Amino acid sequence: MPLKGKSPAEVSAINVTPLCDVMLVLLIIFMVITPLLQNKVTVNMAQALNTQDMDAANKSDAALISITRDGKIYLGSDPVSLDSLPTDITNQLAHNLDKTVYIKADARAKYSDVVGVFTAVQTADVQDVGLLTEQLQQRPPYLPQSAVGQ
Amino acid sequence: MAMTVGGSKGGPMSEINITPLIDVLLVLIIIFMVIVPHTPHGLGALIPQPNKNQKQNQAVVERTIVVSVNAQRQVSINQTPVPLNQLQDRLVDIFKTRNDKVMFVSGDPSIPFAAVVPILDIAHGANVDKVGLLLKQLQAQ
Repeated sequence: MPLKGKSPAEVSAINVTPLCDVMLVLLIIFMVITPLLQNKVTVNMAQALNTQDMDAANKSDAALISITRDGKIYLGSDPVSLDSLPTDITNQLAHNLDKTVYIKADARAKYSDVVGVFTAVQTADVQDVGLLTEQLQQRPPYLPQSAVGQ
Repeated sequence: MAMTVGGSKGGPMSEINITPLIDVLLVLIIIFMVIVPHTPHGLGALIPQPNKNQKQNQAVVERTIVVSVNAQRQVSINQTPVPLNQLQDRLVDIFKTRNDKVMFVSGDPSIPFAAVVPILDIAHGANVDKVGLLLKQLQAQ
Protein backbone atom coordinates (compact mmCIF):
# COMPACT_ATOMS: atom_id res chain seq x y z
CA MET A 1 0.00 0.00 0.00
CA PRO A 2 1.77 3.12 -1.15
CA LEU A 3 1.37 5.83 1.41
CA LYS A 4 1.44 9.48 0.65
CA GLY A 5 4.55 11.11 1.86
CA LYS A 6 4.65 14.59 3.20
CA SER A 7 4.76 15.98 -0.30
CA PRO A 8 1.34 16.08 -2.06
CA ALA A 9 2.50 13.89 -4.91
CA GLU A 10 -0.26 11.98 -6.73
CA VAL A 11 -0.81 8.29 -5.96
CA SER A 12 0.12 6.46 -9.11
CA ALA A 13 -1.43 3.01 -8.40
CA ILE A 14 -5.18 2.44 -8.02
CA ASN A 15 -6.11 0.62 -4.85
CA VAL A 16 -7.49 -2.68 -6.14
CA THR A 17 -8.03 -4.37 -2.80
CA PRO A 18 -11.79 -3.53 -2.44
CA LEU A 19 -12.34 -4.47 -6.07
CA CYS A 20 -10.78 -7.85 -5.39
CA ASP A 21 -12.95 -8.30 -2.32
CA VAL A 22 -16.12 -7.58 -4.24
CA MET A 23 -15.15 -9.79 -7.17
CA LEU A 24 -14.29 -12.70 -4.89
CA VAL A 25 -17.64 -12.41 -3.13
CA LEU A 26 -19.42 -12.27 -6.50
CA LEU A 27 -17.55 -15.38 -7.59
CA ILE A 28 -18.51 -17.25 -4.43
CA ILE A 29 -22.17 -16.19 -4.71
CA PHE A 30 -22.44 -17.32 -8.30
CA MET A 31 -20.74 -20.60 -7.44
CA VAL A 32 -23.43 -21.17 -4.82
CA ILE A 33 -26.39 -20.00 -6.92
CA THR A 34 -25.61 -21.60 -10.29
CA PRO A 35 -26.52 -25.18 -9.28
CA LEU A 36 -29.77 -23.89 -7.79
CA LEU A 37 -30.72 -22.19 -11.04
CA GLN A 38 -29.64 -25.03 -13.26
CA ASN A 39 -32.02 -27.67 -11.92
CA LYS A 40 -35.05 -25.75 -13.11
CA VAL A 41 -36.47 -26.55 -16.51
CA THR A 42 -36.65 -23.46 -18.66
CA VAL A 43 -40.14 -22.95 -19.99
CA ASN A 44 -41.71 -19.94 -21.71
CA MET A 45 -44.89 -19.61 -19.71
CA ALA A 46 -48.11 -18.14 -21.02
CA GLN A 47 -49.17 -14.74 -19.72
CA ALA A 48 -52.25 -13.88 -17.71
CA LEU A 49 -53.63 -10.92 -15.81
CA ASN A 50 -55.86 -12.33 -13.05
CA THR A 51 -53.25 -14.52 -11.38
CA GLN A 52 -52.70 -15.53 -7.78
CA ASP A 53 -49.39 -15.76 -5.99
CA MET A 54 -48.20 -19.32 -5.86
CA ASP A 55 -45.23 -19.16 -3.55
CA ALA A 56 -45.65 -22.81 -2.64
CA ALA A 57 -44.59 -23.81 -6.15
CA ASN A 58 -41.07 -22.70 -5.31
CA LYS A 59 -40.73 -25.04 -2.34
CA SER A 60 -38.30 -27.87 -2.83
CA ASP A 61 -40.91 -30.54 -1.99
CA ALA A 62 -43.68 -29.12 -4.19
CA ALA A 63 -44.99 -31.26 -7.03
CA LEU A 64 -44.00 -29.07 -9.95
CA ILE A 65 -44.54 -30.59 -13.37
CA SER A 66 -42.94 -28.83 -16.31
CA ILE A 67 -44.05 -29.42 -19.88
CA THR A 68 -41.66 -28.19 -22.53
CA ARG A 69 -42.56 -27.04 -25.99
CA ASP A 70 -41.72 -30.41 -27.52
CA GLY A 71 -43.88 -32.28 -25.02
CA LYS A 72 -41.21 -33.53 -22.61
CA ILE A 73 -42.44 -33.83 -19.04
CA TYR A 74 -40.37 -33.12 -15.95
CA LEU A 75 -41.30 -33.60 -12.31
CA GLY A 76 -39.11 -31.07 -10.53
CA SER A 77 -35.95 -31.42 -12.57
CA ASP A 78 -36.19 -35.12 -13.44
CA PRO A 79 -37.59 -36.20 -16.79
CA VAL A 80 -40.52 -38.57 -16.26
CA SER A 81 -42.75 -40.56 -18.56
CA LEU A 82 -46.50 -40.12 -18.68
CA ASP A 83 -47.00 -43.73 -17.54
CA SER A 84 -45.06 -43.36 -14.30
CA LEU A 85 -46.28 -39.83 -13.58
CA PRO A 86 -49.30 -40.77 -11.37
CA THR A 87 -47.09 -42.85 -9.06
CA ASP A 88 -44.46 -40.13 -8.99
CA ILE A 89 -47.05 -37.49 -8.07
CA THR A 90 -48.42 -39.69 -5.29
CA ASN A 91 -44.92 -40.24 -3.91
CA GLN A 92 -44.09 -36.55 -4.14
CA LEU A 93 -47.24 -35.49 -2.30
CA ALA A 94 -47.18 -38.30 0.28
CA HIS A 95 -45.57 -36.16 2.99
CA ASN A 96 -46.80 -32.82 1.71
CA LEU A 97 -49.66 -30.97 3.32
CA ASP A 98 -50.27 -28.88 0.21
CA LYS A 99 -52.03 -31.35 -2.09
CA THR A 100 -51.68 -29.21 -5.16
CA VAL A 101 -49.88 -30.08 -8.35
CA TYR A 102 -48.24 -27.12 -10.04
CA ILE A 103 -48.05 -27.30 -13.80
CA LYS A 104 -45.60 -25.14 -15.64
CA ALA A 105 -46.46 -25.60 -19.29
CA ASP A 106 -44.79 -23.89 -22.20
CA ALA A 107 -47.12 -21.49 -23.99
CA ARG A 108 -46.50 -23.31 -27.26
CA ALA A 109 -46.88 -26.84 -25.88
CA LYS A 110 -49.71 -28.75 -27.50
CA TYR A 111 -52.84 -28.84 -25.36
CA SER A 112 -53.01 -32.61 -25.82
CA ASP A 113 -49.70 -32.92 -23.94
CA VAL A 114 -51.09 -30.75 -21.16
CA VAL A 115 -54.31 -32.81 -21.04
CA GLY A 116 -52.13 -35.92 -20.80
CA VAL A 117 -50.60 -34.50 -17.64
CA PHE A 118 -54.06 -33.54 -16.34
CA THR A 119 -55.13 -37.16 -16.84
CA ALA A 120 -52.12 -38.36 -14.86
CA VAL A 121 -52.97 -35.89 -12.09
CA GLN A 122 -56.53 -37.21 -12.10
CA THR A 123 -55.23 -40.77 -11.86
CA ALA A 124 -53.15 -39.72 -8.86
CA ASP A 125 -56.41 -38.57 -7.18
CA VAL A 126 -55.34 -34.96 -7.02
CA GLN A 127 -57.94 -32.30 -7.65
CA ASP A 128 -56.16 -28.98 -7.24
CA VAL A 129 -53.82 -27.81 -9.92
CA GLY A 130 -52.04 -24.51 -10.30
CA LEU A 131 -51.18 -23.49 -13.83
CA LEU A 132 -48.15 -21.26 -13.55
CA THR A 133 -48.16 -18.21 -15.78
CA GLU A 134 -46.33 -14.97 -16.08
CA GLN A 135 -47.95 -11.91 -14.62
CA LEU A 136 -49.11 -9.39 -17.20
CA GLN A 137 -48.85 -5.78 -16.13
CA GLN A 138 -51.13 -4.41 -18.84
CA ARG A 139 -54.61 -5.32 -19.98
CA PRO A 140 -54.40 -7.95 -22.71
CA PRO A 141 -56.53 -7.31 -25.83
CA TYR A 142 -58.97 -10.11 -24.99
CA LEU A 143 -60.07 -8.54 -21.72
CA PRO A 144 -62.61 -5.72 -21.76
CA GLN A 145 -61.85 -2.41 -20.11
CA SER A 146 -64.04 -3.28 -17.13
CA ALA A 147 -61.75 -6.13 -16.20
CA VAL A 148 -58.96 -3.87 -15.01
CA GLY A 149 -58.73 -3.31 -11.30
CA GLN A 150 -60.86 -6.26 -10.23
CA MET B 1 -9.98 5.61 0.22
CA ALA B 2 -9.58 6.31 3.89
CA MET B 3 -6.95 4.10 5.34
CA THR B 4 -6.09 4.25 8.97
CA VAL B 5 -2.46 3.49 9.28
CA GLY B 6 -0.60 2.95 12.45
CA GLY B 7 1.19 5.99 13.69
CA SER B 8 4.76 6.58 12.83
CA LYS B 9 5.78 5.43 16.25
CA GLY B 10 4.34 1.92 15.60
CA GLY B 11 1.51 2.23 18.08
CA PRO B 12 -1.54 -0.08 17.82
CA MET B 13 -4.32 0.71 15.31
CA SER B 14 -7.31 2.19 17.05
CA GLU B 15 -9.97 1.52 14.35
CA ILE B 16 -10.72 -1.41 12.08
CA ASN B 17 -11.04 -0.49 8.43
CA ILE B 18 -14.66 -1.32 7.61
CA THR B 19 -14.78 0.09 4.07
CA PRO B 20 -14.24 -3.26 2.24
CA LEU B 21 -16.79 -4.87 4.52
CA ILE B 22 -19.37 -2.28 3.52
CA ASP B 23 -18.51 -2.77 -0.16
CA VAL B 24 -19.09 -6.48 0.12
CA LEU B 25 -22.34 -6.07 2.02
CA LEU B 26 -23.70 -3.61 -0.54
CA VAL B 27 -22.98 -6.04 -3.34
CA LEU B 28 -24.73 -8.78 -1.36
CA ILE B 29 -27.79 -6.56 -0.89
CA ILE B 30 -27.94 -5.76 -4.60
CA ILE B 31 -27.66 -9.42 -5.57
CA PHE B 32 -30.46 -10.51 -3.25
CA MET B 33 -32.63 -7.62 -4.41
CA VAL B 34 -32.32 -8.99 -7.95
CA ILE B 35 -32.99 -12.61 -7.05
CA VAL B 36 -35.76 -12.51 -4.44
CA PRO B 37 -38.74 -10.82 -6.21
CA HIS B 38 -39.17 -13.68 -8.66
CA THR B 39 -42.24 -15.20 -7.01
CA PRO B 40 -44.32 -17.50 -9.19
CA HIS B 41 -47.83 -16.55 -10.24
CA GLY B 42 -50.48 -18.86 -11.57
CA LEU B 43 -54.09 -19.62 -12.26
CA GLY B 44 -55.81 -22.08 -9.96
CA ALA B 45 -57.96 -24.78 -11.51
CA LEU B 46 -59.52 -28.10 -10.61
CA ILE B 47 -59.45 -31.47 -12.29
CA PRO B 48 -62.83 -33.14 -11.77
CA GLN B 49 -62.71 -36.74 -10.65
CA PRO B 50 -64.92 -39.13 -12.61
CA ASN B 51 -68.30 -39.72 -11.02
CA LYS B 52 -68.15 -43.11 -9.35
CA ASN B 53 -71.89 -43.70 -9.06
CA GLN B 54 -73.08 -43.05 -12.56
CA LYS B 55 -76.32 -41.31 -11.53
CA GLN B 56 -76.20 -37.91 -13.21
CA ASN B 57 -78.49 -35.24 -11.93
CA GLN B 58 -80.22 -33.94 -15.04
CA ALA B 59 -80.86 -30.48 -13.59
CA VAL B 60 -77.17 -30.07 -12.77
CA VAL B 61 -76.12 -31.19 -16.23
CA GLU B 62 -78.37 -28.60 -17.86
CA ARG B 63 -76.95 -25.79 -15.77
CA THR B 64 -73.36 -26.70 -16.49
CA ILE B 65 -71.31 -24.07 -18.29
CA VAL B 66 -68.62 -25.44 -20.58
CA VAL B 67 -66.36 -23.00 -22.38
CA SER B 68 -64.59 -24.72 -25.22
CA VAL B 69 -61.92 -23.73 -27.71
CA ASN B 70 -62.02 -25.52 -31.04
CA ALA B 71 -59.18 -26.21 -33.45
CA GLN B 72 -59.70 -22.82 -35.14
CA ARG B 73 -59.33 -21.22 -31.71
CA GLN B 74 -62.96 -20.12 -31.70
CA VAL B 75 -64.40 -19.87 -28.22
CA SER B 76 -67.91 -21.01 -27.41
CA ILE B 77 -70.05 -21.24 -24.29
CA ASN B 78 -72.11 -24.46 -24.46
CA GLN B 79 -71.78 -24.61 -28.28
CA THR B 80 -72.69 -20.92 -28.75
CA PRO B 81 -69.74 -19.07 -30.33
CA VAL B 82 -68.60 -16.01 -28.37
CA PRO B 83 -65.87 -13.56 -29.34
CA LEU B 84 -63.02 -13.69 -26.84
CA ASN B 85 -63.31 -10.02 -25.93
CA GLN B 86 -66.98 -10.45 -24.95
CA LEU B 87 -66.46 -13.67 -23.01
CA GLN B 88 -65.91 -12.00 -19.65
CA ASP B 89 -69.10 -9.93 -19.88
CA ARG B 90 -71.07 -12.99 -20.90
CA LEU B 91 -69.69 -15.03 -17.99
CA VAL B 92 -70.38 -12.22 -15.53
CA ASP B 93 -73.98 -12.10 -16.85
CA ILE B 94 -74.41 -15.85 -16.53
CA PHE B 95 -73.01 -16.13 -13.01
CA LYS B 96 -74.70 -12.99 -11.67
CA THR B 97 -77.74 -14.97 -10.55
CA ARG B 98 -75.96 -18.13 -9.51
CA ASN B 99 -74.53 -19.31 -6.24
CA ASP B 100 -72.41 -22.11 -7.64
CA LYS B 101 -69.72 -20.31 -9.57
CA VAL B 102 -68.53 -23.41 -11.37
CA MET B 103 -67.54 -23.73 -14.99
CA PHE B 104 -65.60 -26.13 -17.15
CA VAL B 105 -62.99 -25.50 -19.80
CA SER B 106 -62.18 -27.82 -22.64
CA GLY B 107 -59.84 -27.36 -25.55
CA ASP B 108 -59.08 -29.04 -28.82
CA PRO B 109 -55.97 -31.24 -28.48
CA SER B 110 -54.25 -29.56 -31.43
CA ILE B 111 -54.22 -25.99 -30.10
CA PRO B 112 -51.26 -24.66 -28.12
CA PHE B 113 -51.59 -24.30 -24.36
CA ALA B 114 -51.44 -20.50 -24.71
CA ALA B 115 -54.86 -20.55 -26.42
CA VAL B 116 -56.50 -21.98 -23.29
CA VAL B 117 -54.84 -19.69 -20.75
CA PRO B 118 -56.93 -16.61 -21.74
CA ILE B 119 -60.12 -18.58 -20.97
CA LEU B 120 -58.86 -19.36 -17.46
CA ASP B 121 -57.70 -15.77 -17.10
CA ILE B 122 -61.14 -14.44 -18.09
CA ALA B 123 -62.86 -16.96 -15.80
CA HIS B 124 -60.85 -15.69 -12.84
CA GLY B 125 -61.59 -12.13 -13.92
CA ALA B 126 -65.31 -12.98 -13.92
CA ASN B 127 -64.93 -14.26 -10.31
CA VAL B 128 -65.70 -17.88 -11.16
CA ASP B 129 -64.52 -19.76 -8.07
CA LYS B 130 -64.15 -23.23 -9.49
CA VAL B 131 -62.77 -23.80 -12.95
CA GLY B 132 -62.71 -27.43 -13.95
CA LEU B 133 -60.46 -28.68 -16.72
CA LEU B 134 -62.27 -31.24 -18.85
CA LEU B 135 -60.34 -34.24 -20.05
CA LYS B 136 -61.13 -36.15 -23.17
CA GLN B 137 -63.16 -39.03 -21.81
CA LEU B 138 -65.41 -36.71 -19.84
CA GLN B 139 -65.89 -34.51 -22.86
CA ALA B 140 -67.41 -37.37 -24.81
CA GLN B 141 -70.48 -37.49 -22.58
